[in-house]
Amino acid sequence: MTEIERHAFDVVVIGAGGAGLRAAIEARSRGMRTAVVCKSLFGKAHTVMAEGGIAAAMGNVNPNDGWQVHFRDTMRGGKFLNNWRMAELHAKEAPERVWELETYGALFDRTKDGRISQRNFGGHEYPRLAHVGDRTGLELIRTLQQQIVALQQRDFQEFGDYEAGLRVFGECTVTDLLVESGRVAGAFGYWRESGRFLLFEAPSVVLATGGIGKSYKVTSNSWEYTGDGHALALRAGAALINMEFVQFHPTGMVWPPSVKGILVTESVRGDGGVLRNSEGRRFMFDYIPEVFKEKYADNETEADRWYDDPDHNRRPPELLPRDEVARAINAEVKAGRGSPHGGVFLDIASRLPGEEIQRRLPSMYHQFRELADVDITREPMEVGPTCHYVMGGVEVDPDSAASGVPGLFAAGEVAGGMHGSNRLGGNSLSDLLVFGRRAGMGAASYVESIGQDRPTPVESEVDNAARWALAPFGERGPDGPPENPYTLQMELQQVMNDLVGIIRRSDEMEQALKKLDDLGRRVRNVMVEGHRQYNPGWHLALDLRNMVLVSECVARSALERTESRGGHTRDDFPQMDPEWRHQLLACELEHSESGESRADRMDGVRVLRRPQPAMRPDLLALFELAELTKFYLAEELAEHPSEKG
Amino acid sequence: MTATVEKAPTAGSRGSQPPVPEGATTITVKIRRFNPETDTEPCWESFDVPALPTDRVLNLLHYVKWYLDGTLTFRRSCAHGICGSDAMRINGVNRLACKVLVKDLLAGAGKHTTITVEPIKGLPVHKDLLVDMEPFFEAYRAVKPFLITSGNEPTRERIQSAADRERFDDTTKCILCAACTTSCPVFWSEQRYFGPAAIVNAHRFIFDSRDEGAEERLDILNDVDGVWRCRTTFNCTDACPRGIQVTKAIQEVKRALLFRRV
Repeated sequence: MTEIERHAFDVVVIGAGGAGLRAAIEARSRGMRTAVVCKSLFGKAHTVMAEGGIAAAMGNVNPNDGWQVHFRDTMRGGKFLNNWRMAELHAKEAPERVWELETYGALFDRTKDGRISQRNFGGHEYPRLAHVGDRTGLELIRTLQQQIVALQQRDFQEFGDYEAGLRVFGECTVTDLLVESGRVAGAFGYWRESGRFLLFEAPSVVLATGGIGKSYKVTSNSWEYTGDGHALALRAGAALINMEFVQFHPTGMVWPPSVKGILVTESVRGDGGVLRNSEGRRFMFDYIPEVFKEKYADNETEADRWYDDPDHNRRPPELLPRDEVARAINAEVKAGRGSPHGGVFLDIASRLPGEEIQRRLPSMYHQFRELADVDITREPMEVGPTCHYVMGGVEVDPDSAASGVPGLFAAGEVAGGMHGSNRLGGNSLSDLLVFGRRAGMGAASYVESIGQDRPTPVESEVDNAARWALAPFGERGPDGPPENPYTLQMELQQVMNDLVGIIRRSDEMEQALKKLDDLGRRVRNVMVEGHRQYNPGWHLALDLRNMVLVSECVARSALERTESRGGHTRDDFPQMDPEWRHQLLACELEHSESGESRADRMDGVRVLRRPQPAMRPDLLALFELAELTKFYLAEELAEHPSEKG
Repeated sequence: MTATVEKAPTAGSRGSQPPVPEGATTITVKIRRFNPETDTEPCWESFDVPALPTDRVLNLLHYVKWYLDGTLTFRRSCAHGICGSDAMRINGVNRLACKVLVKDLLAGAGKHTTITVEPIKGLPVHKDLLVDMEPFFEAYRAVKPFLITSGNEPTRERIQSAADRERFDDTTKCILCAACTTSCPVFWSEQRYFGPAAIVNAHRFIFDSRDEGAEERLDILNDVDGVWRCRTTFNCTDACPRGIQVTKAIQEVKRALLFRRV
């Protein structure tokens, strides 16, 4: 077979965003020989696009904040479908992770007394987001990248080799995980530049590959977001949970067409921006759901007072969780009250002085001026929902980030559970750091625990992976007309956008599944021109397999869940149903008896129901009973202190 | 809308082209191409592409890749100027393809527009618009781009005043796109020169009130290939897609070296 470059590591981290880099730093600091493998250049990860900030209850701006408040907000935002243990760990550990990032050297905006400043955000009761202007994600990645450079220089001084402890494989794609007797044995991939194959022999792999947004036509996500980690986990035998929950960020650019979907940070609303329809009305007051009525103002006067006096006023409804705002915008546009280009107006110009807007939201100011010819200090922006984040992902143990496959770990967007049915803004960057670190710890402990008993990749599996990777060059020939990868990608994006988008119906999802089935067949017939050296058509052909498989998980789970909750809205089942609150949907690949190569698996997704473990009583007691009864069945609340009297 | 250089259609290489949007004009995108597997020298290839004034150069490149020639190779990621992947020479100047609008490149009324796109200069070309970034990152790593401190790590954040934080705000905006370094005539002729981006990233720490490694970094930049090579042509400042005052930052480092005071 083809020549393969071989490497041996203790821990292989796939993905170099916030979660991947934090996991790598942790594994390396625990003595593991660690590799970081990423599709882009090192430092260009999707995390750089996060604008608003990192949610952490440090209480620097409002001392009433604490982990319990953050925990409550996170559970509310996720409509109580979150894995409560993950939400607990996240709320408790996020402040330490932010302080740690600061000691690594990260820049933050500061309070008057020089501490890290915190800003308001949707769904967060207090100002909680540590930030640097609107480029927080960039600073987070740069800081972790700097930390890795520092560790490598330290290794050079000690061992004479920069890569003795930690090596980065940039522009390198992993196409398959190698599993031996049910345990992780390594990973198979290729250099994007040369097209040459790589084999990582490693007893543990941390998936930190991010999300799946590139399966949608209108998205704020970048090209890397093709669901690689989700698909790798499935094929390795792990389960994905919550795949029906896809977050549509309420404010993406809608015009001009070339930039449709690009994100407009929630900080615009956090800093005072309001949403108006074509009649000039602040319509969000019409969309405050029952469960949030106590926390959100029902009139403009109170909402506006809140910015100066948050303790005695309710919050403006523009700061409801993202799912609520996205649905409201969708409804306004449908009702014919949208902006000229099919969005609504986001107005900061009439709310803050121009100078202040430029100081607080410099990236947004430039983004609109340069791309849409709109001066946001004078005119409102036009915005509409854009596919932004997938709440679903690999089912993991909350404490160790371990999946069901021994040796396989997942952290960040590729992991499921933490955010339940809807993620709060700012909880993503903190998730990356908290669970990135835990995944690094988990992997290191696992590797220590197995000692010398390391599984070895089976050569026939490696050959299969190589053959499957080369299929688009047509050595075996297609079973039908040859297909163009770019065409298939666009068809897939259209299907997901139109049929499994922000508002869903069973007949449309059935239709989507048929189309996905057909696309899956056609993806096997993709043929590419040219050779292996940096061939973008080939790269996409390989990514497409993952996109189709993961899209099927989204569609199947969405069809199965007959209620509306968070990032899953059914036109035919518009209500939230307490019977569904404690049920998780898990996707697995059916085991094939035919001995079919693992690499070859692209279909056979089945959806299983899993009970959500009951929340620990002391955490349940953090909520008022009256609030819980809006989400829970009566019998589930028997453990609540006010029920027990 | 045909490629000027015709090739025999290959199976699966092209998609059916989408309808031309209203208001679009056909413009020629002239791309400097190089395929290391078949070419000994780079050559120009032209494609006619329908473009809206609001399109960005990145959209034109995508059009070529998706509908005309699936092998066209370039880097891009976030597509709105944050990740710094798609720096290239557009009409002879370094820009991010995702931030240059067609309307700013259109020829005068009645004239046909041709946009030239080349890889950034001074770094080895791997393929088409894709260059080897390793020498660039090597210079970046050489200036010790990480916080250097002594003593125990604090348990919470270090205190930093708004004024101290403001001191190096500009140079923390760098996205490592290499637009500045590869616009520098000194770098073109002598690739051993650290280049503006590395100096900007050194500046970011030299002027950070929390950092204690300024002396070390200044020694590194005092090298023959360090800041003194800068001839203040301001190309770097013009090229920076983040609006960083690159030349000013380099001057501040020079001044710090002269007076050993930050």
